[in-house]
Amino acid sequence: MPTPRAPLFNRLIPQSLYVRVGLVLACVFFLLPFYWMANSALKSTAELSTFPPTLLPQSLRFENFVNAVNYIPFGTFLLNSVILTAGISIGAAISNPLIAYGFSRIKWPGRDFVFGIVMATIFLPFPVLIVALFDIFAKLHWIDTFLPMIVPAFFGSPFFIFLMRQFYLALPGEISEAARIDGANEFQVFLFIILPLAKPAVAAVVIFAAVQAWGEFLAPLLYLSDETKYPLSIGLQFYRQSHDVAYNLLMAASTLIVLPIVALFIAFQRFFIQGVTAGSVKG
Amino acid sequence: MTKENAMTLLPGRGIRALILSFLMVTACSTGGSTGSAPPLAGCNSGTTLATFWTSHTPPDSDSLKNIVTAFNKQSNSTCVKLVQVPGSETDIAKLTTAVRGGTGPDVYMLDRFTVAERAAAGVLEDLTPYGAASLGSSYLDFAWQEAQFKGKPYALPFDTDTRALYYNKDLLKAAGVDTSALDARDKPVTIDAVRTMANKVNKKDASGNYTTVGFIPWFEQGWHYTWGFAYGGTFFDKAACKVTPDDPKIVQAYKDMFWDWAGSLGVAQAQTFISSYAPPNLPTQQNAFLTGKLGFMISGDWVLGNIQTYVPNLKYGVTYIPVPHAGDAAATWAGGWSMVIPKGPKNGKGGYEFMKYIAGEPGQRVYTKETQHTPTFKSLTSDSTLFPGDAATRHTTEPAAALATAASATNDKLKQYCPLA
Amino acid sequence: MIAAPRLRLSHDDWRNLRTALPFVLPWVIGFFAFTLYPIIYSLYLSFNQYSGFGDAVPVGIANYKHMVSDPLFWKALYNTGYYTALAVPIGLVVAIVLALLMNQNLREVAIYRAAFYLPSILPLFALTFIFIVLLNPRFGAVNYFLGFLHVPTINWLGDARWTKVSVVILAQLGAGGPALIFLASLRAVPVELYESARLEGAGPIRRFWHITLPLITPVILYDLIYGTILGLQIFTPAYILVGGTSGGAAYTAGPENSLLFYVFYLYKNAFQYSDMGYASAMAWVLFVISIVLAVLIMRWSRYWVHYEAD
Repeated sequence: MPTPRAPLFNRLIPQSLYVRVGLVLACVFFLLPFYWMANSALKSTAELSTFPPTLLPQSLRFENFVNAVNYIPFGTFLLNSVILTAGISIGAAISNPLIAYGFSRIKWPGRDFVFGIVMATIFLPFPVLIVALFDIFAKLHWIDTFLPMIVPAFFGSPFFIFLMRQFYLALPGEISEAARIDGANEFQVFLFIILPLAKPAVAAVVIFAAVQAWGEFLAPLLYLSDETKYPLSIGLQFYRQSHDVAYNLLMAASTLIVLPIVALFIAFQRFFIQGVTAGSVKG
Repeated sequence: MTKENAMTLLPGRGIRALILSFLMVTACSTGGSTGSAPPLAGCNSGTTLATFWTSHTPPDSDSLKNIVTAFNKQSNSTCVKLVQVPGSETDIAKLTTAVRGGTGPDVYMLDRFTVAERAAAGVLEDLTPYGAASLGSSYLDFAWQEAQFKGKPYALPFDTDTRALYYNKDLLKAAGVDTSALDARDKPVTIDAVRTMANKVNKKDASGNYTTVGFIPWFEQGWHYTWGFAYGGTFFDKAACKVTPDDPKIVQAYKDMFWDWAGSLGVAQAQTFISSYAPPNLPTQQNAFLTGKLGFMISGDWVLGNIQTYVPNLKYGVTYIPVPHAGDAAATWAGGWSMVIPKGPKNGKGGYEFMKYIAGEPGQRVYTKETQHTPTFKSLTSDSTLFPGDAATRHTTEPAAALATAASATNDKLKQYCPLA
Repeated sequence: MIAAPRLRLSHDDWRNLRTALPFVLPWVIGFFAFTLYPIIYSLYLSFNQYSGFGDAVPVGIANYKHMVSDPLFWKALYNTGYYTALAVPIGLVVAIVLALLMNQNLREVAIYRAAFYLPSILPLFALTFIFIVLLNPRFGAVNYFLGFLHVPTINWLGDARWTKVSVVILAQLGAGGPALIFLASLRAVPVELYESARLEGAGPIRRFWHITLPLITPVILYDLIYGTILGLQIFTPAYILVGGTSGGAAYTAGPENSLLFYVFYLYKNAFQYSDMGYASAMAWVLFVISIVLAVLIMRWSRYWVHYEAD
């Protein structure tokens, strides 16, 4: 927020300078945690508790990463995280484009009313449901499996439906009309005409679903009991509680958890940013 | 309103590769995880699997592992698989969720104080059909009583433990403290004497933060029970079926040991010391007492094992928990764990066979030897005192008010289980 | 946007309904199975004493009555309210400031955008682990740097006055997402508006208050409602920070129960204390609180949201 003195500064210094200072300060706030994570991940256990703390490790202990992976069953947790993420992403990729199509490319009575309910569920706190959902999944014998996390993804999620719908609405209606005149049924129009055009939106949905699934904590905590089924989120917390994980190993493991998301972001930056801003089109 | 729909760039290959790799991983993992469970290494052929869960951590869980291995070697009917699960004395969320989902273990290691509470909630199997009632005479009476609910056995007692005052001789000597009164071991020292010694150990750095502290009474095992009992208080009125944490003696203990002590150390500074040197989930070997940052500590007998494992050269002493007035009788309390069969076991018979072994003479012998915990099996020991307790919630408001709140809040919930048979 | 369906349907209406049904059916099934049914089922459970084992025993409104006399319920409600009231407005300001900063024509702006946005997609549990090390009062970076400014030692995670503030700061790492939405709506403000304001002699502050801010109020409204609902759900950082090993940490939710957030207490009741009935009652109260807050914010927004005439 510009301070009241900003106009004066504005006259004396080029505007870009104090904007840059602000940007760099904000960057420090946003990047300090990650610098400290890497710094701590590379220190020896003894150096972690020296005062004052060292800003750079005295010697780089890259073996902390090896030790973290070996000491914590990182491979098992990682595989579980990947399976969960894959399952949830596939579910999101199949369900949301389909559902959103029904809420945008076909006009049916009551559509906007029902879509209003879809949007309302965005604002329903998930924890409200956990007690009852647990009981339901227990009766289905789904406890200690990935099903309670993955199956709901195949039934759509309101934010992704909204995102896909925004994209569909921007496509001209004539595209579908031409195909319908050629005798295609609605599903064929969806699958062969609209879906290929909507690839960027599907990609955004998949990426967001994957990022969300990667960080999921509460649901695995509720539904999984066998430690060999834990994803990284609760796996690491469990290991910390039960096996004395030193901070340098914890930070090394955290680095390894963060890196795939960073890589995903670098590879698909545009999708992330456009996915987020799709929500603003409606205003 | 922007009509700019910017989603036009499509690195198609990237997405396809991503999806493909997800699919491959899923395919591999389903291929890998569906194989039938192979018989565990170290078990005899023809045995049936029984699972055993514990929330214990090393070094104690290592000893449990050894007992399981020894059991598997000698049993021709049961093969036990040890699984470590998250949890604590009061947090058995992993157990309850698994049992409700039909994926619970055959044996669980449960805090003995909570046996009745968990039995009342319906989490545990009654052990009468297994023939547990006849085992009572083998166990110390207090431990056996804790394993009963409404006259029926729901658990087999395992270890017990006691709390004592640990002190770091080197640290105290360096601060010029004469530890002979502590070393004498014939009678408990007074709290005032400990306070005087502890104050000499307190050291701060330039920024006003403690680098060493003499004694933080609420650290580790400095529970409400510990000081409540030290002051001669009682926590439960069995006849009235009410918890009584607002017993005036307990209120006085809270005032002296928590309220006033924290005040003289500086509440913020004392907590900063704990957050720096002993935050939650810090590895055991970095415990502030073991690293020589703390002069005194109230803790349990398992610390003996920890010191032996992590800092064998530490010069330390153990004595009675200090008392308010010279001549008061020393008090401590015993807790401990037990073995239970949760509702709906897959191999209850095998589980019980293992329980009888681990909670019996062979298991307790190994556990006592390896972890320095105290056994409850009569033939292995003959000490310990009965201190029944009841959980109350810790608060940091003014002691009398906090304890009154704890009493009313707990009694409100307790009503539904009264009378306790 | 929400209008009740017309009752009389034409032939075309029926056909379209039939065509659309297979598309929206997955959502309809999911809505009934994973949303509506659990809500109704938890309402039923809230009038029962149910440990999760055996049968539910009807107890009338006892669970709701117990709430009134349960000091921890009020503590949890207070903590959650405190956190939300702090995190949501701060988050809003941080997001808008970031958006304004990113809305400058600087060559390297893409780098800043990446730096601000990236933390918001990183797993919250991993960020919490990092904060444990970062905020250690003695060996952490934050107090080390504050030491140079002669700020006295702050016990971020061990002092009841600071624990919630720490979680609020942690939440700000997620500001990059909303900031991008704000940025998009800033970009949508017609340049001519600024030009004419500049010609009339309006400085940057006046331009912000009179042009920018009114035009982004719809996004502020969305962020306010969504942020509030998210704030009420805060759980993961508290669960991780409190720890779960035996010893003092396992019994209270942070120093003086200062991290006992509503959902944390709900979770403890349901899964640690086997009191599903009470937890269900708490879930329903949370549900009602969310609706009331959302409606109140919507009502209030009539006074300040500026809807552009389409």
